[in-house]
Amino acid sequence: MADVDSFRFLDFATTRVVKAWMSREPKRPVPFVPLRKPLSQCRVAILSSAAISRRDDTPFDLDGERRNPFWGDPSLRTIPKDSQAAGLRVEHLHIDRRYAERDLDTVLPLRRLDELVDQGIVGSSAPTHYSMMGYQLDLQETVQQHLPPVIARMQAEAVDAVLLVPV
Amino acid sequence: MTASVGAPRIAGIEYPLGHPLGEVGDAEGQRRVLQAALQVLASVTTPGSIVNLPFVWQKPAQKLEKSTQEESPITKLCKRKPWLFLKLLSGDIPAMPVGDESSV
Repeated sequence: MADVDSFRFLDFATTRVVKAWMSREPKRPVPFVPLRKPLSQCRVAILSSAAISRRDDTPFDLDGERRNPFWGDPSLRTIPKDSQAAGLRVEHLHIDRRYAERDLDTVLPLRRLDELVDQGIVGSSAPTHYSMMGYQLDLQETVQQHLPPVIARMQAEAVDAVLLVPV
Repeated sequence: MTASVGAPRIAGIEYPLGHPLGEVGDAEGQRRVLQAALQVLASVTTPGSIVNLPFVWQKPAQKLEKSTQEESPITKLCKRKPWLFLKLLSGDIPAMPVGDESSV
């Protein structure tokens, strides 16, 4: 398989911005834990960057994002595994939301994961899945304040692996 | 981009933005992408490895009618004040109190 061209579908301005930001990322050690058991015995959680929240939960701060276009809401939302699309909303201001609104599994594949569990390919779907706003110019608050409770919850729910879905 | 921030394992897929699992309504295709991405968990033994998934986007882009969605705030701002695009490029993010972008 040839290398994936990450920029094939990006417009010129976005490509320039993404490449500039990539070039500034410091070299860092890559965290890595080998998978300790077969996928068929693993409990998997999904974290989607499509800014999905439950309709009965606090919405992402879209007015804050409109007031300061250099800011993205740094918080995360929890999404129970059996959530129905009608009970969720997609609030990302920087993506075309119609795909997610028409078919949530294009950005948060909970139904597809259930099917892989039914087929015995994946052990189980975690009780809780997660979403965040992918437009973040500064991740400090997300990493320091909002991710630790998410990690603690994943550990409490015996999650073996997390699939990050950048949208 | 995912590689530049040090993800442990990466499943690369050349699909348009906004629907990384595949097309609206294509459960079979989405399931194959999800399964292939999860199999990278077991197949990768070197930290940071990228596995390019063997899926090819056949169409120019999924055909949707023109969006009526509002433009993103940063796009709107850069159209109004183009010099701010250079700040975005350089990473020199103006310190704006939330609620006061008019001060930029």
